[in-house]
Amino acid sequence: MTLDDDVKKVFLETFPALSESDFEWGKTQKDYENWDSFAQLNLITLAEAKFEITFSDDEITSIFSAKNLLECIKSHR
Amino acid sequence: MNTIADFLNNSYRIHPDKIAIIDNNSKLTYSELHEEVNNFSSFLNKFPKNSVVSLLFANTHEFVISYLGTINSGCIAHLIPIGISQKNLMDQISSAKPKLVLSSENYFSKIAEIESENIEKLRFSEVKKTSYQDRKPQPSDYAYLIYTSGTTSSPKGVPVTHSNCVFTTANIVRTLQYSQDDIDVLPLSLSHSFGLGCLHTSFYVGSTLIIHKTIEITQILDSIKNYNASTLAAIPSTLSKIVSNGFDDSSNTLSNLRLIITNSTFLPPETTKKLKKILKNGKVATYYGLTEASRSTFMIFDGDNNIESVGKSSDGISLKLISNNDESTIGEIWIKGHNVIGNYWSDEHTKENIIDGWLKTGDLGRIDDDGYLYILGRVDDLINISGEKVYPQEIERVVKVLTGIDDVVASPMKHDVFGEVVKLFVKKSAEYDISKTDILTHCIKNLERFKVPAKIEFVEDFPRTDYGKIKRFMLK
Repeated sequence: MTLDDDVKKVFLETFPALSESDFEWGKTQKDYENWDSFAQLNLITLAEAKFEITFSDDEITSIFSAKNLLECIKSHR
Repeated sequence: MNTIADFLNNSYRIHPDKIAIIDNNSKLTYSELHEEVNNFSSFLNKFPKNSVVSLLFANTHEFVISYLGTINSGCIAHLIPIGISQKNLMDQISSAKPKLVLSSENYFSKIAEIESENIEKLRFSEVKKTSYQDRKPQPSDYAYLIYTSGTTSSPKGVPVTHSNCVFTTANIVRTLQYSQDDIDVLPLSLSHSFGLGCLHTSFYVGSTLIIHKTIEITQILDSIKNYNASTLAAIPSTLSKIVSNGFDDSSNTLSNLRLIITNSTFLPPETTKKLKKILKNGKVATYYGLTEASRSTFMIFDGDNNIESVGKSSDGISLKLISNNDESTIGEIWIKGHNVIGNYWSDEHTKENIIDGWLKTGDLGRIDDDGYLYILGRVDDLINISGEKVYPQEIERVVKVLTGIDDVVASPMKHDVFGEVVKLFVKKSAEYDISKTDILTHCIKNLERFKVPAKIEFVEDFPRTDYGKIKRFMLK
Protein backbone atom coordinates (compact mmCIF):
# COMPACT_ATOMS: atom_id res chain seq x y z
CA MET A 1 0.00 0.00 0.00
CA THR A 2 1.31 3.45 -0.87
CA LEU A 3 1.23 6.43 1.47
CA ASP A 4 -1.55 7.92 -0.66
CA ASP A 5 -3.65 4.79 -0.14
CA ASP A 6 -3.02 4.88 3.61
CA VAL A 7 -4.04 8.52 3.90
CA LYS A 8 -7.13 7.89 1.82
CA LYS A 9 -8.01 4.99 4.12
CA VAL A 10 -7.69 7.20 7.20
CA PHE A 11 -9.98 9.71 5.52
CA LEU A 12 -12.61 7.13 4.63
CA GLU A 13 -12.48 5.63 8.13
CA THR A 14 -13.00 9.04 9.70
CA PHE A 15 -15.99 9.69 7.45
CA PRO A 16 -17.74 6.29 7.21
CA ALA A 17 -20.62 7.84 5.25
CA LEU A 18 -18.24 8.93 2.49
CA SER A 19 -18.06 6.48 -0.40
CA GLU A 20 -14.78 5.87 -2.19
CA SER A 21 -16.19 7.28 -5.43
CA ASP A 22 -17.04 10.56 -3.67
CA PHE A 23 -13.51 10.93 -2.34
CA GLU A 24 -11.45 13.74 -3.88
CA TRP A 25 -8.04 14.94 -2.71
CA GLY A 26 -8.91 18.58 -3.29
CA LYS A 27 -12.32 18.64 -1.59
CA THR A 28 -12.14 21.01 1.38
CA GLN A 29 -13.72 21.01 4.81
CA LYS A 30 -16.67 23.16 3.72
CA ASP A 31 -17.57 20.57 1.05
CA TYR A 32 -18.17 17.92 3.71
CA GLU A 33 -21.38 18.05 5.68
CA ASN A 34 -19.91 16.08 8.59
CA TRP A 35 -16.48 17.71 8.85
CA ASP A 36 -17.00 19.59 12.09
CA SER A 37 -14.46 20.32 14.81
CA PHE A 38 -14.90 16.88 16.36
CA ALA A 39 -14.41 15.18 12.98
CA GLN A 40 -11.22 17.23 12.64
CA LEU A 41 -10.10 15.92 16.03
CA ASN A 42 -10.93 12.32 15.02
CA LEU A 43 -9.05 12.74 11.72
CA ILE A 44 -5.94 14.09 13.41
CA THR A 45 -6.01 11.47 16.17
CA LEU A 46 -6.41 8.62 13.71
CA ALA A 47 -3.69 9.94 11.39
CA GLU A 48 -1.28 10.42 14.32
CA ALA A 49 -1.92 6.87 15.50
CA LYS A 50 -1.65 5.37 12.03
CA PHE A 51 1.57 7.11 11.01
CA GLU A 52 3.04 7.37 14.51
CA ILE A 53 3.59 11.12 14.28
CA THR A 54 2.46 14.15 16.27
CA PHE A 55 1.10 17.19 14.48
CA SER A 56 1.85 20.67 15.77
CA ASP A 57 -1.02 23.07 16.51
CA ASP A 58 -0.15 25.04 13.35
CA GLU A 59 -0.29 21.91 11.24
CA ILE A 60 -3.65 20.88 12.73
CA THR A 61 -5.23 24.23 11.87
CA SER A 62 -3.84 24.09 8.32
CA ILE A 63 -5.47 20.77 7.39
CA PHE A 64 -8.61 21.53 5.37
CA SER A 65 -8.47 18.74 2.79
CA ALA A 66 -7.17 15.23 2.22
CA LYS A 67 -4.39 16.79 0.16
CA ASN A 68 -3.36 19.02 3.09
CA LEU A 69 -3.29 15.94 5.32
CA LEU A 70 -1.14 13.99 2.86
CA GLU A 71 1.36 16.85 2.54
CA CYS A 72 1.52 17.28 6.28
CA ILE A 73 2.26 13.59 6.78
CA LYS A 74 4.91 13.65 4.03
CA SER A 75 6.67 16.50 5.80
CA HIS A 76 7.14 14.22 8.83
CA ARG A 77 8.86 11.51 6.80
CA MET B 1 -31.57 -16.28 62.73
CA ASN B 2 -30.68 -12.90 64.20
CA THR B 3 -26.90 -12.68 63.92
CA ILE B 4 -24.11 -14.04 61.74
CA ALA B 5 -23.09 -16.26 64.65
CA ASP B 6 -26.44 -18.04 64.30
CA PHE B 7 -25.63 -19.09 60.71
CA LEU B 8 -22.90 -21.52 61.71
CA ASN B 9 -24.57 -22.63 64.95
CA ASN B 10 -27.77 -23.47 63.11
CA SER B 11 -26.10 -25.39 60.28
CA TYR B 12 -23.91 -27.26 62.80
CA ARG B 13 -27.00 -28.40 64.69
CA ILE B 14 -28.75 -29.60 61.51
CA HIS B 15 -25.87 -31.48 59.85
CA PRO B 16 -22.71 -31.61 61.98
CA ASP B 17 -20.93 -34.15 59.76
CA LYS B 18 -21.41 -32.36 56.49
CA ILE B 19 -18.39 -30.70 54.85
CA ALA B 20 -18.66 -26.98 55.52
CA ILE B 21 -15.53 -25.72 53.85
CA ILE B 22 -12.89 -26.93 51.43
CA ASP B 23 -9.62 -25.05 51.20
CA ASN B 24 -7.04 -26.53 48.86
CA ASN B 25 -7.97 -30.15 49.65
CA SER B 26 -8.22 -29.48 53.39
CA LYS B 27 -11.79 -30.08 54.55
CA LEU B 28 -13.66 -29.08 57.70
CA THR B 29 -17.07 -30.43 58.67
CA TYR B 30 -19.61 -28.16 60.32
CA SER B 31 -18.84 -29.89 63.60
CA GLU B 32 -15.07 -29.34 63.26
CA LEU B 33 -15.56 -25.75 62.16
CA HIS B 34 -17.95 -25.09 65.04
CA GLU B 35 -15.39 -26.41 67.54
CA GLU B 36 -12.52 -24.41 66.00
CA VAL B 37 -14.63 -21.26 66.01
CA ASN B 38 -15.61 -21.68 69.66
CA ASN B 39 -11.97 -22.31 70.60
CA PHE B 40 -10.98 -19.13 68.82
CA SER B 41 -13.81 -17.18 70.48
CA SER B 42 -12.65 -18.31 73.91
CA PHE B 43 -9.29 -16.62 73.32
CA LEU B 44 -11.03 -13.28 72.70
CA ASN B 45 -12.88 -13.37 76.03
CA LYS B 46 -10.07 -11.30 77.50
CA PHE B 47 -11.12 -8.33 75.36
CA PRO B 48 -14.26 -6.31 76.09
CA LYS B 49 -17.30 -7.03 73.93
CA ASN B 50 -17.38 -4.97 70.70
CA SER B 51 -13.58 -4.73 70.59
CA VAL B 52 -12.11 -4.55 67.10
CA VAL B 53 -10.01 -7.50 65.92
CA SER B 54 -8.11 -6.84 62.68
CA LEU B 55 -7.63 -9.82 60.37
CA LEU B 56 -5.07 -10.09 57.58
CA PHE B 57 -5.43 -13.44 55.78
CA ALA B 58 -5.66 -14.89 52.33
CA ASN B 59 -8.67 -17.11 51.58
CA THR B 60 -8.00 -19.98 53.95
CA HIS B 61 -9.89 -21.91 56.62
CA GLU B 62 -7.75 -19.93 59.11
CA PHE B 63 -9.51 -16.79 57.93
CA VAL B 64 -12.95 -18.41 58.23
CA ILE B 65 -12.23 -19.59 61.78
CA SER B 66 -10.81 -16.20 62.81
CA TYR B 67 -13.67 -14.26 61.23
CA LEU B 68 -16.48 -16.39 62.65
CA GLY B 69 -14.64 -16.71 65.97
CA THR B 70 -14.41 -12.93 66.25
CA ILE B 71 -18.08 -12.52 65.38
CA ASN B 72 -19.06 -15.31 67.78
CA SER B 73 -17.26 -13.61 70.65
CA GLY B 74 -19.20 -10.38 70.24
CA CYS B 75 -16.20 -8.57 68.76
CA ILE B 76 -15.96 -6.68 65.47
CA ALA B 77 -13.94 -8.21 62.64
CA HIS B 78 -11.90 -5.62 60.76
CA LEU B 79 -11.11 -7.22 57.41
CA ILE B 80 -7.87 -6.20 55.72
CA PRO B 81 -7.17 -7.12 52.08
CA ILE B 82 -3.90 -8.99 51.61
CA GLY B 83 -2.78 -6.60 48.87
CA ILE B 84 -2.88 -3.61 51.22
CA SER B 85 -0.01 -1.15 51.10
CA GLN B 86 1.90 -0.58 54.32
CA LYS B 87 0.69 3.03 54.46
CA ASN B 88 -2.97 2.07 54.08
CA LEU B 89 -2.52 -0.67 56.65
CA MET B 90 -1.21 1.85 59.19
CA ASP B 91 -4.02 4.29 58.32
CA GLN B 92 -6.67 1.61 58.79
CA ILE B 93 -5.18 0.42 62.08
CA SER B 94 -4.99 4.00 63.31
CA SER B 95 -8.66 4.52 62.43
CA ALA B 96 -10.06 1.12 63.52
CA LYS B 97 -8.17 1.05 66.84
CA PRO B 98 -8.10 -2.75 67.23
CA LYS B 99 -7.21 -4.60 70.43
CA LEU B 100 -5.70 -7.43 68.39
CA VAL B 101 -4.21 -7.72 64.91
CA LEU B 102 -4.04 -11.27 63.65
CA SER B 103 -2.57 -12.75 60.50
CA SER B 104 -1.46 -15.98 58.96
CA GLU B 105 2.25 -16.79 59.20
CA ASN B 106 3.03 -15.48 55.70
CA TYR B 107 1.55 -12.01 56.32
CA PHE B 108 2.90 -11.53 59.83
CA SER B 109 5.82 -9.38 58.65
CA LYS B 110 3.27 -6.79 57.51
CA ILE B 111 1.58 -6.47 60.89
CA ALA B 112 4.83 -6.77 62.85
CA GLU B 113 5.60 -3.17 61.91
CA ILE B 114 2.56 -1.82 63.73
CA GLU B 115 3.89 0.17 66.65
CA SER B 116 1.51 0.44 69.55
CA GLU B 117 1.67 -0.83 73.09
CA ASN B 118 -2.10 -1.21 73.18
CA ILE B 119 -2.34 -3.52 70.20
CA GLU B 120 -1.53 -7.21 70.46
CA LYS B 121 -0.08 -8.76 67.29
CA LEU B 122 -0.31 -12.49 66.76
CA ARG B 123 -0.02 -15.25 64.23
CA PHE B 124 -3.05 -17.52 63.88
CA SER B 125 -1.00 -20.41 65.29
CA GLU B 126 -0.41 -18.44 68.50
CA VAL B 127 -4.11 -18.24 69.39
CA LYS B 128 -4.72 -20.59 72.34
CA LYS B 129 -7.98 -21.99 73.58
CA THR B 130 -9.19 -20.94 77.03
CA SER B 131 -12.48 -21.64 78.75
CA TYR B 132 -15.34 -20.58 76.49
CA GLN B 133 -17.87 -18.03 77.67
CA ASP B 134 -21.06 -17.56 75.75
CA ARG B 135 -20.90 -13.90 74.69
CA LYS B 136 -23.21 -13.80 71.72
CA PRO B 137 -23.57 -10.58 69.73
CA GLN B 138 -26.84 -8.68 69.43
CA PRO B 139 -28.47 -7.86 66.06
CA SER B 140 -27.69 -4.16 66.41
CA ASP B 141 -23.97 -4.82 67.15
CA TYR B 142 -21.37 -4.22 64.48
CA ALA B 143 -20.28 -7.50 62.91
CA TYR B 144 -17.49 -6.40 60.62
CA LEU B 145 -15.63 -3.34 59.45
CA ILE B 146 -14.35 -2.93 55.90
CA TYR B 147 -12.61 0.14 54.54
CA THR B 148 -13.94 1.05 51.10
CA SER B 149 -11.49 0.86 48.28
CA GLY B 150 -11.06 4.58 47.68
CA THR B 151 -11.32 4.55 43.89
CA THR B 152 -12.22 8.23 43.97
CA SER B 153 -11.27 9.43 47.45
CA SER B 154 -9.70 8.38 50.71
CA PRO B 155 -10.96 5.08 52.16
CA LYS B 156 -13.97 5.19 54.47
CA GLY B 157 -14.57 2.74 57.32
CA VAL B 158 -17.85 0.89 56.80
CA PRO B 159 -19.19 -0.88 59.91
CA VAL B 160 -21.89 -3.41 59.06
CA THR B 161 -24.28 -4.65 61.74
CA HIS B 162 -25.50 -8.20 62.21
CA SER B 163 -28.97 -6.94 61.38
CA ASN B 164 -27.77 -5.48 58.04
CA CYS B 165 -26.07 -8.74 57.26
CA VAL B 166 -28.90 -11.09 58.22
CA PHE B 167 -31.28 -9.07 56.03
CA THR B 168 -28.87 -9.16 53.07
CA THR B 169 -28.13 -12.87 53.42
CA ALA B 170 -31.80 -13.81 53.62
CA ASN B 171 -32.33 -11.65 50.55
CA ILE B 172 -29.59 -13.47 48.60
CA VAL B 173 -30.89 -16.89 49.64
CA ARG B 174 -34.48 -16.06 48.70
CA THR B 175 -33.66 -14.39 45.36
CA LEU B 176 -31.04 -16.84 44.13
CA GLN B 177 -32.60 -19.90 45.78
CA TYR B 178 -29.52 -21.13 47.63
CA SER B 179 -30.04 -24.34 49.59
CA GLN B 180 -28.15 -26.85 51.72
CA ASP B 181 -27.72 -28.99 48.61
CA ASP B 182 -25.46 -26.42 46.99
CA ILE B 183 -21.73 -26.77 46.53
CA ASP B 184 -20.37 -23.27 46.04
CA VAL B 185 -17.09 -22.41 44.31
CA LEU B 186 -15.68 -19.09 45.46
CA PRO B 187 -12.63 -17.53 43.78
CA LEU B 188 -13.24 -14.17 45.49
CA SER B 189 -11.52 -12.39 48.34
CA LEU B 190 -13.29 -13.05 51.62
CA SER B 191 -12.16 -9.64 52.83
CA HIS B 192 -14.39 -8.01 50.24
CA SER B 193 -18.16 -7.56 50.47
CA PHE B 194 -18.91 -9.82 47.46
CA GLY B 195 -16.88 -12.78 48.71
CA LEU B 196 -17.91 -12.32 52.32
CA GLY B 197 -21.59 -12.24 51.34
CA CYS B 198 -21.11 -15.59 49.58
CA LEU B 199 -19.51 -17.07 52.71
CA HIS B 200 -22.47 -15.90 54.81
CA THR B 201 -24.86 -17.40 52.30
CA SER B 202 -23.21 -20.83 52.39
CA PHE B 203 -23.28 -21.04 56.17
CA TYR B 204 -26.81 -19.60 56.35
CA VAL B 205 -28.19 -22.47 54.25
CA GLY B 206 -25.61 -25.07 55.35
CA SER B 207 -24.08 -25.76 51.94
CA THR B 208 -20.44 -26.62 51.17
CA LEU B 209 -18.09 -23.76 50.33
CA ILE B 210 -14.93 -24.24 48.25
CA ILE B 211 -12.64 -21.27 48.66
CA HIS B 212 -9.83 -20.34 46.28
CA LYS B 213 -6.82 -18.17 47.07
CA THR B 214 -6.38 -17.03 43.47
CA ILE B 215 -8.36 -16.72 40.28
CA GLU B 216 -6.44 -19.41 38.39
CA ILE B 217 -9.00 -20.47 35.80
CA THR B 218 -7.81 -24.08 35.56
CA GLN B 219 -8.09 -24.49 39.34
CA ILE B 220 -11.60 -23.02 39.34
CA LEU B 221 -12.66 -25.39 36.58
CA ASP B 222 -11.05 -28.32 38.41
CA SER B 223 -13.02 -27.49 41.58
CA ILE B 224 -16.28 -27.30 39.66
CA LYS B 225 -15.57 -30.64 37.99
CA ASN B 226 -14.07 -32.55 40.94
CA TYR B 227 -16.68 -31.52 43.51
CA ASN B 228 -19.64 -31.46 41.12
CA ALA B 229 -20.28 -27.86 42.16
CA SER B 230 -23.65 -26.20 41.70
CA THR B 231 -22.81 -22.49 41.95
CA LEU B 232 -19.94 -20.22 40.97
CA ALA B 233 -19.46 -16.65 42.19
CA ALA B 234 -16.86 -14.68 40.26
CA ILE B 235 -16.04 -11.22 39.02
CA PRO B 236 -16.85 -10.43 35.36
CA SER B 237 -13.24 -10.56 34.16
CA THR B 238 -12.88 -14.11 35.53
CA LEU B 239 -16.04 -15.16 33.72
CA SER B 240 -14.90 -13.52 30.48
CA LYS B 241 -11.61 -15.41 30.70
CA ILE B 242 -13.39 -18.70 31.37
CA VAL B 243 -15.58 -18.39 28.29
CA SER B 244 -12.73 -17.24 26.07
CA ASN B 245 -11.34 -19.89 23.78
CA GLY B 246 -8.27 -20.65 25.82
CA PHE B 247 -9.75 -23.25 28.16
CA ASP B 248 -10.55 -26.66 26.75
CA ASP B 249 -13.70 -28.27 27.97
CA SER B 250 -14.78 -25.23 30.01
CA SER B 251 -18.27 -25.41 28.48
CA ASN B 252 -18.75 -29.01 29.61
CA THR B 253 -17.44 -28.20 33.07
CA LEU B 254 -19.76 -25.24 33.55
CA SER B 255 -22.81 -26.74 31.91
CA ASN B 256 -24.29 -28.36 35.03
CA LEU B 257 -24.00 -25.34 37.31
CA ARG B 258 -27.37 -24.11 38.51
CA LEU B 259 -26.13 -20.56 39.11
CA ILE B 260 -23.33 -18.21 38.09
CA ILE B 261 -23.41 -14.99 40.08
CA THR B 262 -21.28 -11.95 39.36
CA ASN B 263 -21.27 -8.35 40.53
CA SER B 264 -22.14 -4.99 39.06
CA THR B 265 -18.82 -4.28 37.44
CA PHE B 266 -19.62 -4.34 33.75
CA LEU B 267 -20.24 -7.84 32.43
CA PRO B 268 -19.91 -7.72 28.64
CA PRO B 269 -23.23 -8.82 27.07
CA GLU B 270 -21.29 -11.27 24.89
CA THR B 271 -20.01 -13.02 28.04
CA THR B 272 -23.53 -13.16 29.49
CA LYS B 273 -24.87 -14.66 26.26
CA LYS B 274 -22.07 -17.24 26.09
CA LEU B 275 -22.63 -18.27 29.71
CA LYS B 276 -26.37 -18.59 29.21
CA LYS B 277 -25.76 -20.78 26.19
CA ILE B 278 -23.34 -22.99 28.13
CA LEU B 279 -25.62 -23.59 31.13
CA LYS B 280 -28.07 -26.42 30.52
CA ASN B 281 -30.62 -25.35 33.12
CA GLY B 282 -28.70 -22.86 35.20
CA LYS B 283 -29.02 -19.12 35.49
CA VAL B 284 -26.66 -16.18 35.19
CA ALA B 285 -27.23 -13.36 37.64
CA THR B 286 -25.67 -10.13 38.75
CA TYR B 287 -26.38 -7.59 41.44
CA TYR B 288 -25.71 -3.99 42.37
CA GLY B 289 -24.46 -3.12 45.79
CA LEU B 290 -21.80 -1.42 47.84
CA THR B 291 -20.15 -2.41 51.09
CA GLU B 292 -22.46 0.20 52.64
CA ALA B 293 -25.57 -1.26 50.99
CA SER B 294 -24.93 -4.83 50.02
CA ARG B 295 -27.00 -6.50 47.27
CA SER B 296 -29.46 -3.68 46.67
CA THR B 297 -30.66 -5.03 43.32
CA PHE B 298 -30.57 -8.41 41.59
CA MET B 299 -30.72 -9.24 37.92
CA ILE B 300 -31.38 -12.77 36.72
CA PHE B 301 -30.76 -12.93 32.99
CA ASP B 302 -33.77 -14.93 31.87
CA GLY B 303 -34.23 -13.48 28.41
CA ASP B 304 -32.25 -11.28 26.08
CA ASN B 305 -33.84 -8.07 27.35
CA ASN B 306 -32.22 -5.71 29.85
CA ILE B 307 -28.93 -7.53 29.42
CA GLU B 308 -26.94 -4.47 30.53
CA SER B 309 -29.12 -3.83 33.58
CA VAL B 310 -28.23 -4.70 37.18
CA GLY B 311 -31.87 -5.47 37.87
CA LYS B 312 -34.61 -4.24 40.14
CA SER B 313 -34.44 -3.26 43.79
CA SER B 314 -34.88 -6.11 46.25
CA ASP B 315 -37.82 -6.34 48.65
CA GLY B 316 -37.45 -3.88 51.51
CA ILE B 317 -34.96 -1.71 49.60
CA SER B 318 -35.80 1.62 47.95
CA LEU B 319 -33.85 3.36 45.21
CA LYS B 320 -34.14 6.90 43.90
CA LEU B 321 -32.18 9.01 41.45
CA ILE B 322 -31.18 12.50 42.47
CA SER B 323 -30.30 15.03 39.79
CA ASN B 324 -29.86 18.79 39.65
CA ASN B 325 -32.01 18.77 36.56
CA ASP B 326 -35.66 17.91 37.30
CA GLU B 327 -36.24 16.61 33.77
CA SER B 328 -33.25 14.32 33.70
CA THR B 329 -33.88 10.59 33.83
CA ILE B 330 -30.30 10.11 35.00
CA GLY B 331 -29.10 10.86 38.50
CA GLU B 332 -27.05 9.81 41.47
CA ILE B 333 -28.37 6.57 42.98
CA TRP B 334 -29.59 6.87 46.56
CA ILE B 335 -30.49 3.71 48.53
CA LYS B 336 -32.55 3.13 51.66
CA GLY B 337 -33.32 -0.16 53.36
CA HIS B 338 -32.34 -2.66 56.03
CA ASN B 339 -29.16 -3.45 54.12
CA VAL B 340 -27.90 0.14 54.41
CA ILE B 341 -25.47 0.98 57.19
CA GLY B 342 -26.57 3.52 59.79
CA ASN B 343 -23.28 5.35 59.86
CA TYR B 344 -19.66 5.30 58.80
CA TRP B 345 -16.87 4.64 61.29
CA SER B 346 -16.21 8.38 61.17
CA ASP B 347 -19.00 10.92 61.84
CA GLU B 348 -17.63 13.24 59.18
CA HIS B 349 -18.30 10.70 56.41
CA THR B 350 -21.76 9.96 57.83
CA LYS B 351 -22.89 13.57 57.59
CA GLU B 352 -21.68 13.83 54.01
CA ASN B 353 -23.08 10.57 52.69
CA ILE B 354 -26.14 9.43 54.67
CA ILE B 355 -29.20 11.67 54.76
CA ASP B 356 -32.36 10.54 56.59
CA GLY B 357 -31.32 6.93 56.09
CA TRP B 358 -30.65 7.42 52.36
CA LEU B 359 -27.14 6.44 51.27
CA LYS B 360 -25.67 8.66 48.55
CA THR B 361 -23.79 6.11 46.46
CA GLY B 362 -21.83 8.41 44.16
CA ASP B 363 -22.93 6.16 41.27
CA LEU B 364 -24.87 7.51 38.33
CA GLY B 365 -27.81 5.49 37.16
CA ARG B 366 -30.88 5.35 35.00
CA ILE B 367 -34.09 3.45 35.76
CA ASP B 368 -36.24 2.37 32.81
CA ASP B 369 -40.05 2.29 32.72
CA ASP B 370 -40.08 -1.29 34.02
CA GLY B 371 -37.94 -0.42 37.04
CA TYR B 372 -34.64 -1.88 35.79
CA LEU B 373 -31.56 -0.02 36.98
CA TYR B 374 -28.60 0.71 34.71
CA ILE B 375 -25.26 1.86 36.14
CA LEU B 376 -23.66 4.59 34.06
CA GLY B 377 -20.56 5.36 36.09
CA ARG B 378 -19.42 7.49 38.98
CA VAL B 379 -20.61 11.05 39.48
CA ASP B 380 -17.00 12.21 39.83
CA ASP B 381 -15.86 10.48 36.64
CA LEU B 382 -18.03 12.33 34.11
CA ILE B 383 -16.14 13.88 31.20
CA ASN B 384 -17.41 17.31 30.14
CA ILE B 385 -16.85 17.82 26.41
CA SER B 386 -18.11 21.23 25.30
CA GLY B 387 -20.94 20.94 27.82
CA GLU B 388 -21.84 17.37 26.81
CA LYS B 389 -21.57 14.97 29.76
CA VAL B 390 -19.93 11.72 28.74
CA TYR B 391 -19.90 8.59 30.88
CA PRO B 392 -16.48 6.91 30.72
CA GLN B 393 -18.11 3.50 31.06
CA GLU B 394 -20.03 4.01 27.83
CA ILE B 395 -16.76 4.41 25.94
CA GLU B 396 -15.08 1.61 27.87
CA ARG B 397 -17.90 -0.79 27.07
CA VAL B 398 -17.54 -0.07 23.38
CA VAL B 399 -13.79 -0.64 23.46
CA LYS B 400 -13.91 -3.73 25.70
CA VAL B 401 -15.66 -5.83 23.07
CA LEU B 402 -12.52 -5.68 20.90
CA THR B 403 -10.25 -8.72 20.93
CA GLY B 404 -6.91 -7.86 22.47
CA ILE B 405 -8.15 -5.53 25.21
CA ASP B 406 -7.42 -6.66 28.75
CA ASP B 407 -8.74 -3.55 30.45
CA VAL B 408 -9.49 0.04 29.52
CA VAL B 409 -10.17 3.35 31.24
CA ALA B 410 -11.61 6.47 29.61
CA SER B 411 -10.51 9.62 31.36
CA PRO B 412 -10.86 13.39 30.81
CA MET B 413 -7.99 15.28 29.16
CA LYS B 414 -7.82 19.08 29.10
CA HIS B 415 -8.38 20.59 25.64
CA ASP B 416 -8.09 24.23 24.50
CA VAL B 417 -11.18 24.15 22.32
CA PHE B 418 -13.52 21.60 23.91
CA GLY B 419 -12.61 22.03 27.58
CA GLU B 420 -12.17 18.31 27.98
CA VAL B 421 -11.79 15.42 25.54
CA VAL B 422 -11.50 11.69 26.05
CA LYS B 423 -8.17 10.07 26.71
CA LEU B 424 -8.09 6.30 26.66
CA PHE B 425 -5.74 4.18 28.73
CA VAL B 426 -5.52 0.64 27.38
CA LYS B 427 -3.97 -2.48 28.83
CA LYS B 428 -3.48 -4.89 25.97
CA SER B 429 -3.94 -8.61 26.46
CA ALA B 430 -0.87 -10.74 26.06
CA GLU B 431 -2.37 -12.90 23.32
CA TYR B 432 -3.17 -10.29 20.66
CA ASP B 433 -1.38 -7.16 19.50
CA ILE B 434 -4.11 -4.60 18.87
CA SER B 435 -3.08 -1.21 17.43
CA LYS B 436 -4.24 2.30 18.30
CA THR B 437 -5.59 2.58 14.77
CA ASP B 438 -7.76 -0.53 15.30
CA ILE B 439 -9.20 0.97 18.48
CA LEU B 440 -9.84 4.40 16.96
CA THR B 441 -11.45 3.00 13.84
CA HIS B 442 -13.75 0.91 16.03
CA CYS B 443 -14.60 3.96 18.16
CA ILE B 444 -15.37 6.10 15.12
CA LYS B 445 -17.79 3.43 13.90
CA ASN B 446 -19.47 2.93 17.27
CA LEU B 447 -19.44 6.25 19.13
CA GLU B 448 -20.61 9.79 18.49
CA ARG B 449 -17.78 11.96 17.17
CA PHE B 450 -17.24 13.91 20.37
CA LYS B 451 -16.86 10.68 22.37
CA VAL B 452 -14.08 9.28 20.19
CA PRO B 453 -10.80 9.36 22.16
CA ALA B 454 -8.42 12.16 21.23
CA LYS B 455 -5.52 10.22 22.65
CA ILE B 456 -4.76 6.59 23.40
CA GLU B 457 -2.03 5.46 25.73
CA PHE B 458 -1.03 1.84 26.20
CA VAL B 459 -0.18 0.97 29.81
CA GLU B 460 1.39 -2.07 31.44
CA ASP B 461 -1.20 -1.94 34.22
CA PHE B 462 -3.37 0.52 36.12
CA PRO B 463 -2.86 2.05 39.55
CA ARG B 464 -5.09 -0.02 41.78
CA THR B 465 -6.55 0.01 45.26
CA ASP B 466 -5.80 -2.67 47.81
CA TYR B 467 -8.88 -4.51 46.53
CA GLY B 468 -7.65 -4.41 42.93
CA LYS B 469 -10.02 -1.71 41.68
CA ILE B 470 -8.58 0.86 39.28
CA LYS B 471 -7.85 4.25 40.85
CA ARG B 472 -9.39 6.43 38.14
CA PHE B 473 -8.55 9.69 39.83
CA MET B 474 -4.85 8.92 39.38
CA LEU B 475 -5.32 8.81 35.60
CA LYS B 476 -6.86 12.28 35.36
